[in-house]
Amino acid sequence: MNPVFAQGLLDVDFGLFFWVLITFLLFLFLLTKFAWKPILNALGEREKAIKESLEAAEKAKEDAMRISKENEKALKKAESISQKMRKEAIEEAEALRADRAEKAKVEAEKLLDQARSTIEQEKKKALLELRAEVSKMAIEAASRILDEEIDEKRNKKIVDRYIKELNQATADS
Amino acid sequence: MMKQLLRFLLLNLVLVTGVAVVSNAESGDENRIDLIGKVVDHHYLDFKPLATVELPRLIYDNGRIHAYRSTTSLLNKSKLFTDAGYIDAEPVVQNGLIKPATYQIVRTDGTSPQFDFSITSHLVFFWIAAFLTFLIFIPLSLKYRKGIGRNSEPKGAFQNIFETLVVFIRDEIALQNIGSHKYMTFTPYLLTVFFFILFMNFFGLMPWGVSSTADITITAVLALFTFATTQIFATKDHWKHVFWFPGVPIPIKFILMPVELIGLFTKPFALCIRLFANMASGKILIMAILGTIFIFSDLFGPGVAYGTSWVWVFLTLFVYLIKALVGFIQAYVFTILSALFIGLAVADHSEEHAH
Repeated sequence: MNPVFAQGLLDVDFGLFFWVLITFLLFLFLLTKFAWKPILNALGEREKAIKESLEAAEKAKEDAMRISKENEKALKKAESISQKMRKEAIEEAEALRADRAEKAKVEAEKLLDQARSTIEQEKKKALLELRAEVSKMAIEAASRILDEEIDEKRNKKIVDRYIKELNQATADS
Repeated sequence: MMKQLLRFLLLNLVLVTGVAVVSNAESGDENRIDLIGKVVDHHYLDFKPLATVELPRLIYDNGRIHAYRSTTSLLNKSKLFTDAGYIDAEPVVQNGLIKPATYQIVRTDGTSPQFDFSITSHLVFFWIAAFLTFLIFIPLSLKYRKGIGRNSEPKGAFQNIFETLVVFIRDEIALQNIGSHKYMTFTPYLLTVFFFILFMNFFGLMPWGVSSTADITITAVLALFTFATTQIFATKDHWKHVFWFPGVPIPIKFILMPVELIGLFTKPFALCIRLFANMASGKILIMAILGTIFIFSDLFGPGVAYGTSWVWVFLTLFVYLIKALVGFIQAYVFTILSALFIGLAVADHSEEHAH
């Protein structure tokens, strides 16, 4: 009998060798062509797509950030412009108001002056008229006194009556 | 104390197992288990106690291929060949049919035929592993062709599990060891080797299963493919490193040349032996540990054997789990070493120096 330990364990069987060689070559070819290449290609494609979409997302994010920054800048600028405009408008309005007030004051002053001068003139005229009237009345009173003569009592009565008339006349007029 | 006991047990185990196997061979007792016979190749599939399926015999001799359905069929029909065991002895006849004794087929004059390329159990399980790989990855590739996993995420456990393995081999084994320029050329080879070895290893864990990788012929073929790949795709730089190592004094170059030359062959040889020894030893270890129960029964009586059997069963379970792990690890190791050797052969050193 053959030695028992390691009997056939380390023998290389060339029949088996032949079959395994052929099978392995065949399956290596078939699997490479129909399994590994399609799978690896698909995986590669998917990874590429993922990588590209990630990069696109990154780029989009950057773009969005840039745009939002630009928007912010524009907004700030617009705000500052509007503020300036408002300030200008306020200043303008203020100036306009001041101007108007000044004008109104001047106008009022002018009107007041006019009124004053008119009043003065009227006063002067009135005074003149009064003077003339008084002198006329005095002359008239004097002429009446002269006409009625001596009676003092009567004189006094005349004068009183005259004054009374005068008062009445002024009251009537 | 415990240690001494253990040493005693181990020593006994080794000695007694040897004695038992030898006595088995000498007595030819049918009830004894042939330990090595569990690991070596056979011309039949063993489904004991249900059945033993004999495999076809294919023999090339004198310019003709002789094909028979089974060894029994050959022994009964062929006038040219006979079992090596029946040259001197009378053939065993059962139900009117001559039954094979050694399964070793020789010419009737006792000389070996020119080429015996019969189907063997290891070959059957190699084919099963190959077909399994085919049956898994062809439907998977169809899925990718349809766009699932190409344009969308992978769907389902099936696709996810195998995609993870494929991506692992591509990125962690091929890319890491071969480099980004050439790794895609060798990834299909590495994937094929990995899944073949993985499935062959795992078949050894199944009932009636045989791990074909526990056969040195099969590991030799696989190692030969890695060797051939490294030689075919080797760069000029690689050969320069083998025959005229750059950057060392001339006497050193002469010393390095044989070292490098031997290195060319030791690499695939180590690949071959490592896988074979790892897978064969696991099975032998399990058989030996379980055998201890019967040896104890012989030595100390059945009572002791029953009493201690849980230890051996537990140990067997442990070794079995280790084997499951080893099945995966050895497939990984073979693939990564193949990738490493290929990577060394195809590396462009001038480029590396430039970095």
